[in-house]
Amino acid sequence: MSEHIGGWLFATPATVIIVLFGAVPIIWSIVLSFEHVPLGSGGRFIGTANYRELAHDPVVRQAIGHTFIYTALFVPLTMIIGLFLAVAMNRKIRFISFYRTAAYVTMAVSTINEALVFLWLFDPSYGIVNFAAHALGLPQQQFLNSPSEALGVIVVMTVWGWTGFAVIIYLAALQGIPQSVLDASSMDGAGSWATFRRITVPLLSPASLFLAVWLTINALQLFDEVYVSTQGGPVGATTVIVYYIYQQGFQYFNAGYASAIALLLLIITLVVTAVQFRIGRRYVNYRS
Amino acid sequence: MTAITLPPRQRCRLRLPFSPWHLVLLPASLLLIFPFLWMLITSLETQNESLHFPPILVPHKLVPANYPNAFDAAPFSHFFVNSIVVAVSTVVANLVLCSLAGYAFARLRFLGRTALFIVLMATLMVPFQVTMIPQFLIEKWLGVHVLAAVGINHLGALILPNAATAFGVFFLRQFFKTLPLEYEESARVEGATRFTVLWRIVLPLSLPALATLAALTFLESWNSFLWPLIAVDSQNEMTLPLGLQTFQNAHNTQWPLLMAANVMTLVPMLLVFFFAQRYFVRSVASTGLGGA
Amino acid sequence: MLVLHPKCADQGISARWPVRLIASLMVFGLAAFGLAACGSGSGGSTGANGKLSLDIWEGYTGVEAATFTHLVKEYEAANPGITISVLTVNNDNTLTKVQTAVAGGSPPDIAYLYGSWAPNVAQIPQVVNLTNVVKRPGVNWDDFFVGERDVATVGSKVIGIPALVDNLAVVYNKKLFAQAGLTPPGPDWTWDEFEADALKLTDAAKKQFGTAYVTPESEDSVWHWEVLLWEAGGELLTPGNKAAAFNSPAGLKTLELLRTMAVQQHSMYLDPSDSEYANLFNSGKIGMLVTGPWDLSAFPNVSYGVQVMPSFPGSSGGHQTISGPDNWVVFNNGAAHVAAAEKFTLWLTAPKQGKYFSLKTGDLPTRTSVANSAGFDQEMNKTLPGVSTFIDNLANVQQARPQIPTYPKISTALANMVVSVLVGSAQPQAALTTAAQKVDQILSSGNSG
Repeated sequence: MSEHIGGWLFATPATVIIVLFGAVPIIWSIVLSFEHVPLGSGGRFIGTANYRELAHDPVVRQAIGHTFIYTALFVPLTMIIGLFLAVAMNRKIRFISFYRTAAYVTMAVSTINEALVFLWLFDPSYGIVNFAAHALGLPQQQFLNSPSEALGVIVVMTVWGWTGFAVIIYLAALQGIPQSVLDASSMDGAGSWATFRRITVPLLSPASLFLAVWLTINALQLFDEVYVSTQGGPVGATTVIVYYIYQQGFQYFNAGYASAIALLLLIITLVVTAVQFRIGRRYVNYRS
Repeated sequence: MTAITLPPRQRCRLRLPFSPWHLVLLPASLLLIFPFLWMLITSLETQNESLHFPPILVPHKLVPANYPNAFDAAPFSHFFVNSIVVAVSTVVANLVLCSLAGYAFARLRFLGRTALFIVLMATLMVPFQVTMIPQFLIEKWLGVHVLAAVGINHLGALILPNAATAFGVFFLRQFFKTLPLEYEESARVEGATRFTVLWRIVLPLSLPALATLAALTFLESWNSFLWPLIAVDSQNEMTLPLGLQTFQNAHNTQWPLLMAANVMTLVPMLLVFFFAQRYFVRSVASTGLGGA
Repeated sequence: MLVLHPKCADQGISARWPVRLIASLMVFGLAAFGLAACGSGSGGSTGANGKLSLDIWEGYTGVEAATFTHLVKEYEAANPGITISVLTVNNDNTLTKVQTAVAGGSPPDIAYLYGSWAPNVAQIPQVVNLTNVVKRPGVNWDDFFVGERDVATVGSKVIGIPALVDNLAVVYNKKLFAQAGLTPPGPDWTWDEFEADALKLTDAAKKQFGTAYVTPESEDSVWHWEVLLWEAGGELLTPGNKAAAFNSPAGLKTLELLRTMAVQQHSMYLDPSDSEYANLFNSGKIGMLVTGPWDLSAFPNVSYGVQVMPSFPGSSGGHQTISGPDNWVVFNNGAAHVAAAEKFTLWLTAPKQGKYFSLKTGDLPTRTSVANSAGFDQEMNKTLPGVSTFIDNLANVQQARPQIPTYPKISTALANMVVSVLVGSAQPQAALTTAAQKVDQILSSGNSG
C-alpha cells in the first residue's frame, strides 16, 4: 500500500507539469481537430470532416511515406556511428575532453548554421561532395535540386546533427559497465571484438532502446532542417508530416485540419514506440 | 557466459607514439566541428568577404572588432543573464523532479504506473507547433489567476513549462533500471526510507546520467527559440536566441556580426561542458558484486 | 542510521559534495526565480507615469533599425503623452506571434506584416478597419502606389498602411557583360535577348552562370514566375477569382523559357537556399539576376547595372513588373490605443518621414509624391547605387496577386509547377495542366478545414 502512495508521491510533481503543459494542449488540439478554425476567431464544430479530408489527401500519404523512409535511414545510422565513436572516446587518452566536447558541439550549433554548411557542401556546382565525386569519376548529382536525392541529403545533415547526442548517451551508459566485467572477459581469453559483441552490446541494450525510441520519436517529427533548407521541396519531395502540419496550420491557416494530422502522427508514433518497447522486452537486459 | 578460449593472436605491433584511436577520433571530430569552425571564420570576416559563395575560408582581413560591435548592437549582457537564469533553473528543476519520477517508474510498483507512463511518453509525440498556442493560453491563465511570475512576459513562463519533461523522466528511468538492485534492497532491509535510498544510494551512483541530463537540458533551454518568441513581449525578458534576431532580416543578414553573436552564445555552453567532463566519468567505480 | 556503502567510503568519496552542489544549485534556482518574478509585465497599457504606451512589433535590422529608432524618438519628443515600446521580431515570425497573441486576447498595437498575409490577416477580428481613416484630409491615400493600395485592401476593407514597397528588375554584372562582348540591356529589351545573353554568359569551365532562379517551395519561387506570366499577357485567375487562367499560351511560353534556360542550356543556376544566389552574384559567378532593391547592398564587390524587366515580343504585357508591399496593421486594444496607433502610423508614413526613411536606408519610397520630388533619384543613388531604376520601375506595377485567403495553397501548387519544370521532372504543358487542376480544386473547395 505504501508503495502505491510512495510511487504517486514521487511521480506527482513532474507529472503535474508534464500533464499541464503537454497533455492538456494535446487534448485541446484533439478538440480543434473536429472544428473549422479560421485565423483569429473561434472554431466551428464540423464533426469528422477534417478526418474524411485527411483520408483522401494525397499529400498526407506522401508525407507519411517520406517520413518513414527518412526514419528508417536516420535512426540506425545515427546509432551505429554514435556507438562507434562513443566506444572510441571511452578511454583515457590525451585530448579526450576535446573529442567529447566536439560531439557536444554538433548539438549546440543551430539548425540554420548546420543547414547553410550542408547547402554549401552539397551544392551541385560548388560543393565538395560533387567535387569529390568528379575526382573519383562518379557522375555529378543534383542533390537538393533532385526530388529523389533531397531526402538523402537531409538524412546526412541530421545524422551529423544527432551523432553527438548518441555519443553522449552511449558514453554515459559505457560508464555504467563495471570494468571488472570487461576484465573478466579478457581474462577468459576473448578478443576485444568478441567482448564487444557478447558483453558490451547486451549491457548497452537499455541505452540502445532509449536511443532507438527517442531518435525515432524525433525522426517522425522532423521539421527544422526541412524548414531551413528545402521548405518541403523540390516538388514536395521532402514534405514530411510535421512540415505539412506547419503548412496547414501556419501558411494555410487551417488549424483544425493541422490538428487532425497531428493526431494521426501521435497514433503512428504511439504504435511504433509500443512495438519498439515490445521488442525491447525480449532483447534488453537490465542488469538487475 | 561461456568461457571463451582463443589461441593467442600474433599481432604486428605497430609502435606509434600515440594511441591509434587518435587516427579515428581526430578526423571525426574535425568533421563534427566543421560548421563551428566555419562560424568562427565568418565571425572574423568583413561584411564584404562574408558575401561570397563559395564561402571564403581564409579571409584577407580579420575583424575581431565584430565581437564588441555585435555585443553592443543590443543589450546582450542582459539577454545573457536572462538565458542563464532560465537555463539553470530549468536544469535544477528537471534534475529534482525527473529523478523522483524516474525512480518511481523504475523501481516502485504503483497503481496506474504503466498508464501514466504512456501518457507522459505521449506528450513527446506531438510537435510543438501544435501545442504552443494552448500552452501560451495556459501560461497566460496561470499568470493572471495563480502567480504573476509565471505569466506571459516573465522569465517564469520560460522556466515552468519545461521544469520537467517526459524526456528526463524516460531517460532517468532507463538508467535507474540498469543499477544493481542489491544496493537498494540491502538499504531497505536496514530500514531506510525510499527517499533515503534514492538520495544516498541511487543518485550518487547515477552521476554520469544526471550530468548528461543536466547538459542536455541546459542545451535545450539555452537554444530554445520558438517558445520564447511567442511568450516574450518586451526586450527586457528576451533570451539570447531572440537577441540574435537583431542581425537577421528576411533579405539582409549581417553575417559576420550574427556569427560573432552566435559564437559568443555558444562558447559558455561549451566551456561548461568541457570542465564538467569529470562528472561524466564514473566517480564511483562500480564494484564487482558477483558479476552482472 | 544508514552507513554509506563501504566501497563508496573506500573511494574517498564523501557523501557531502553532491549535497553541497545540489543545495547551492537549489538556492541559486530559488533566487533566480525570485529575480524572474520581478520581470516586467506586458506593455501596451498605461505606462508608469500615466503615459499611453504603444506596442509595435517589427523586424528592422541594421540601418533600417537605427533609422526607425530615430523616428520613434522624434515622435515621442513631439508627443509627450505617448511612449512607444518597440519589439524586434523577424518579419517571417511576426504572424505566428500575432496569431498566438490574438488567441490570448492581447495583440500588439501595431505590427509589421507581409502583404502576402493580408487576405488572412483581414479575418482577424481585432484588426482595425482603416477605410475611413485613410480618407481623412492630409493622408492622400492615392499618393501611395497602386500596387501598395491593392495589397492593403481586402475586399472593400483597408486593413493596413503601406510600410514598404519593392519590385523586380534585372541586376546585371557589367564586367561579365564586357568580357562576353555583349551590349548591356536597354529598356526595350526582350526575353529572347535575355535568353541569348544568359547563354553567352554561361561558362561551365569557370562555373559561371548566365542567370539564377530560387527554388525553395515558397512564394519566392512563385512571384518570380508570375511576373513572367503577366509580361506574356497572361492572367493567373479568371475575373472574380473563380478558376485558373494560367493554363494558356502565355503560361506555356513562360515555362518553356524557364525550361530552355535551366534544363537545356544550363544557363540558370538553381538555388534552393534562397540566399546563395546573391553571394554568387557578388562573387562574379552570375551574369544577370531578377531581383529587388533589397539585394543591392549585398553586391559591394560587383560593378552592377540595373534594367527593367524584359518583355515578350508581341505581347500586351510590356515590361510589367510585380511588387511585394508590406503593411503596418493596427489592432484594437481599446479606443485610446487605436487612436494613438492610427496617429503614429499616419505620421510615420507621411511624405516627410517616408522620404527621410528612404534616403537613409535606400528602401523605395511608398509615395508617388516622394518618388517624384526634385533630386530624389540622385540622392537615393548616393545611398544605394542603381536604386533609381527600381523607383522608376514602380510605374510598371499594374496589378497585384489575388487577394484571397486561399492564395497560400495556390502558391504551393504553383511553386510545385515551376520547380518541377526547372529541375526537369515535368514538361511545361503537363505541369501547367496539373497545377491548373489543383488550383481549380482549391478555389472550388474554399478554405474549409
